[in-house]
Amino acid sequence: MVDWTAFLIVLVTSIVSGCLVVALFSLGLRLAAATGRWRRALSVASFAGCALAILYGVYLIIPALHP
Amino acid sequence: MPFYCCLSFIKLEDSSAVDISLMVVLVIALALFFDFTNGFHDTANAMATPIATGALKPRVAVALAAVLNLVGAFLSTEVANTISGGLIREGSGGVQITPVMIFAGLIGAILWNLVTWLLGLPSSSSHALFGGLVGAAIVGAGFGAIDFTVLLSKVVLPALLAPLTAGLVAFLATRIAYAITKKRQRGGFRYGQMFTSSLVSLAHGTNDAQKTMGVITLTLIAGGFQPVGASPELWVIVVCAVAIALGTYTGGWRIIRTLGKGLTEIEPGQGFAAEAATTATILASTHLGFALSTTQVASGSVIGTGIGRKGASVRWRTAGRIGFGWLITLPSSAVVGALASLVARTGLIGIIADAVVAAAIIVWIFLRSRRNLVNANSLQGEPTALVSPKKRKGAKVEG
Repeated sequence: MVDWTAFLIVLVTSIVSGCLVVALFSLGLRLAAATGRWRRALSVASFAGCALAILYGVYLIIPALHP
Repeated sequence: MPFYCCLSFIKLEDSSAVDISLMVVLVIALALFFDFTNGFHDTANAMATPIATGALKPRVAVALAAVLNLVGAFLSTEVANTISGGLIREGSGGVQITPVMIFAGLIGAILWNLVTWLLGLPSSSSHALFGGLVGAAIVGAGFGAIDFTVLLSKVVLPALLAPLTAGLVAFLATRIAYAITKKRQRGGFRYGQMFTSSLVSLAHGTNDAQKTMGVITLTLIAGGFQPVGASPELWVIVVCAVAIALGTYTGGWRIIRTLGKGLTEIEPGQGFAAEAATTATILASTHLGFALSTTQVASGSVIGTGIGRKGASVRWRTAGRIGFGWLITLPSSAVVGALASLVARTGLIGIIADAVVAAAIIVWIFLRSRRNLVNANSLQGEPTALVSPKKRKGAKVEG
C-alpha cells in the first residue's frame, strides 16, 4: 500500500530544500542592491549557495554520479 | 543509420517470423511516436513559467528543453523490469505482455496524449501509457490481470498528493520570496528561472526517454531479437533521445499556454518559486522512494504560487478541468487501448485496421488543431480574452 513514511520524508525534504533555495536567491537579490561590503559579500554567498544547490540537483539527476 | 540496420535484419528473418517482425516494427514506430508526444506534452512542465514571465523567449525555451532532454536521454538507460510499473501482474503466474498488447496500449496512450494536447490539458504521459497497457491487458486476460492496490497506491493517491505537495512548497516559497525581496528587485528572479527550468528539463529527459527505451527493448526481447535482461541497444537509445527532443522542440504550445497563463498570472518571483518547488519535489520524490508525476507536480506548483502571491487569483475552473483530466486519463486511454486490442486480436487485418484508424484520428486531431492555432508567436505578446497579462516592457532581460 501507500508508503506514508516515504511520502512524509518527500514532503518535508521538498519543503525544506525548495524554500531554502528560494530564500537564498531572494536574499541574494535583496542584498545585491544594498551598499556596504559585508552585505554585498553576503549576497554573493547566497547566490553561491544557490549555485551549489543547482549542482547538487545535477548530481542527483545524473545516475552515473551516484552508483 | 542503425535503425535501418535493424529493419533489414528483420527482413532477413524467415517467412514464419514475418508476423512477429511486422509487429515489432509497428511497435517501435508507435513507441517512437509516443516518445515524441511525450516530449511535446511535457515541455510545459519545465518551460511554461519561464515563457510566461519572459525569462526565456518561447523558441529559446523549447530549444533549451530539447537539448537537455536529448542529453538526459543518454544519461540514464537502465530499463525497468516492468513496463506497466507493476499495474499489470506481469511474468510468471500473471499475464505475458505480448507485442500486440503493447501495440494496442501505445495506440491508447498516443491518442489520449493528442486529445489532451488539443484541449490544452497537462496530463501525465506515463498514466496514458499505463492506461493503454491496462486496457489491452484486460481484453487479453480479464480484470484479474490488474493489480488494483497498485493502481490505487501508484496512480490515484499520488495524483492527489503530487499537486498538494508541490502546491504547498510553491505557496511557502512564494511567500518567502515576496517577504524578502522588494518589488523592484524581483526582475532578477528571471535569471534563477533559467537554471531551475533547465533542471526540470534534464530530469525529464533522464526519466521519460527511458520509458520508451524500455518499451522498445522489452518488445525486442519478446520478439526474440534480444536476450532476456538485455540493456537497450545503442540505436534504441539514439532514436528515443532524438524522438523526445524533437517532440520537446515542437513545443506543446497549447499546454504551455494553459500552465503558464491559463491558471494564474505569473510574475518572475512566482515563476522562480514555482520551479524551485517543482524541482525540489521531483528530485525528492525520485530519490526518496515515492514516485510523483512531473506533470502533476508542475501544475500543483503553479497553483500554489498563484495562491501564495497577494493580489494573484487562481482560475479554479481551469484547475478543475485539469484535475478532471488527470482522473480520466488512465481509464480513457485504457478504453482506447482495450478497443484497439479487441480489433488487433483478430489478426493481421485487425492490426492494419488499428493502424489505419489511429492514423486517421491523428490526422483529424492535427487538422482540428489548426482551426485555432497556438504557437510560439501567440505566446509572445498574448492578447487573449482569458488573461490580461501585465506589461513588463521595462524589465526585459537581455538575450
